[in-house]
Amino acid sequence: MNLKFILAMAWYYGVKTVVRGPSYLIASLATPLTLLFLVFVLSHGALVKFAIVGGLIAFVGSVGLSGAGDSAFFRLQLRIQDLYVPSKVSPFDYMAAFTMSYLVFSIPGIVLYIYLGTVYHLFTVYDSLMMVLIMFLLIISTTSISFIISGSIKHLRNIWGITGILTIITSILPPTFYPYTYVPKFFLYIIALSPTTPAAVIAQGAFGLSPNFNIMIYILIVETTIYAILARILVRWRED
Amino acid sequence: MIQIQGISKEYGKKQIALDSLTQTLDNGIVSIIGKNGAGKTTLLRILSTQLKATSGDALIDGLSINQDTREIRERIVSIPQEAAPIGILTAYEQVFLYLTGKGFSFHSAKEDSRRALKSVGLGDKMNVPTDELSGGMKRKMFVAMALGSNAETVFLDEPTTGLDPLSRMETWSAIKELTGNVILTTHYMEEATELSEKIYMMDSGKFIGSGTADQLLQDLQDKVRVESRNFMSGSYHVGNMYIKYVSRNSIKDYDDVYYSLKKITIEDLFIIRGVDLES
Repeated sequence: MNLKFILAMAWYYGVKTVVRGPSYLIASLATPLTLLFLVFVLSHGALVKFAIVGGLIAFVGSVGLSGAGDSAFFRLQLRIQDLYVPSKVSPFDYMAAFTMSYLVFSIPGIVLYIYLGTVYHLFTVYDSLMMVLIMFLLIISTTSISFIISGSIKHLRNIWGITGILTIITSILPPTFYPYTYVPKFFLYIIALSPTTPAAVIAQGAFGLSPNFNIMIYILIVETTIYAILARILVRWRED
Repeated sequence: MIQIQGISKEYGKKQIALDSLTQTLDNGIVSIIGKNGAGKTTLLRILSTQLKATSGDALIDGLSINQDTREIRERIVSIPQEAAPIGILTAYEQVFLYLTGKGFSFHSAKEDSRRALKSVGLGDKMNVPTDELSGGMKRKMFVAMALGSNAETVFLDEPTTGLDPLSRMETWSAIKELTGNVILTTHYMEEATELSEKIYMMDSGKFIGSGTADQLLQDLQDKVRVESRNFMSGSYHVGNMYIKYVSRNSIKDYDDVYYSLKKITIEDLFIIRGVDLES
């Protein structure tokens, strides 16, 4: 494992991107914060805690999924992936470097949501640790989905559209901004294909907003593993 | 030294990109020239372990691209065709990142990035985000990656395509700084002659000739290129132009038709090989 490369990428593509291009971060936060505002207004504050927890999940999930555009752009347009194939960077290192940089990029947004959660007396130390673990699995799974998508396409022209659609489907359709108990159980299992669903269900249980539904912890772990393996296969490292 | 041993690359059953190539590429800076679609990029991607060959093998300093992939990857650098920097990062950051990818420690990556960027003339621009650099500077940044890594073998796929003449010359001077073996592909004939001793010609997935520029042009020695808009018997039809190669002594025979006379260059080898003769 090339830890130096992963850390350097996280620093440059995570931290420096926020410093030099804060608009990227603001754009990533715009949708979840807008939905938080709408939920607050429409529910007269009743569902605002759901929107804070869900907003954090939607934000981290959308950052991970936006990686599909990045990784496709890096591979097909900038040819950066080809540059790293003949090096000491393995496909795992390459994907881990992106994942870490997205995680680092997400930190200001995560801090903002933690602040909101503190204001609404939502987070305790134990629950916050659980949330950090969920965020970690979520960024791995969504970044893996990004690599699956970007590795499956041959041309750039559709990637931004696909990413936009996928971001909406995975951040708004699942019970991120509303109680998961509103969703019929069989449908919940279907939309659990999106890692934001088990993440939201676990979080709602952990913060006492909805009943615990522990099977979702296993679903999130299993699907994160499956998505990561699929991404490794489809990353097109040495092409046939 | 690179020994190519019967490498073929097929896409599907119909498209043959490389056709049982066997060739030894000399040490030093060598060029592979050919038209678009000749197979240059495919060959470079196979040699630099980015693409699997359908059949065949190649040895880079005795290591097989099929068996010793990991060892080869540690020793080479490959700058892809039309590689572009990550615009939001500076040249220093990208060379540093690349060198960590090559296994350098943070300290060495820092020192060698700065040294390499200064060597290619980017010392005063190394901390500027690369989306603010010119095309030539961006290419030089990639050459700095090769330079900083001290690679034994460097593959450069069309390193100056799309650059203006000044940027191209800047990139050439950076390439000349490289110390290892350099294999570059190009379709600019002057680039091949400027940078390399030995030139390998490719066409339709095959090597069709090799040698110094003078050796390759031996058959056309003492000839000139006659270009005319009018048909000439035994000429090559290129665009709206008829081209014929004639000895200097017989130029006067074309006084009534000739449009212009040109000195022979390597470009003419491609005209001869790539265009059907008009009878």
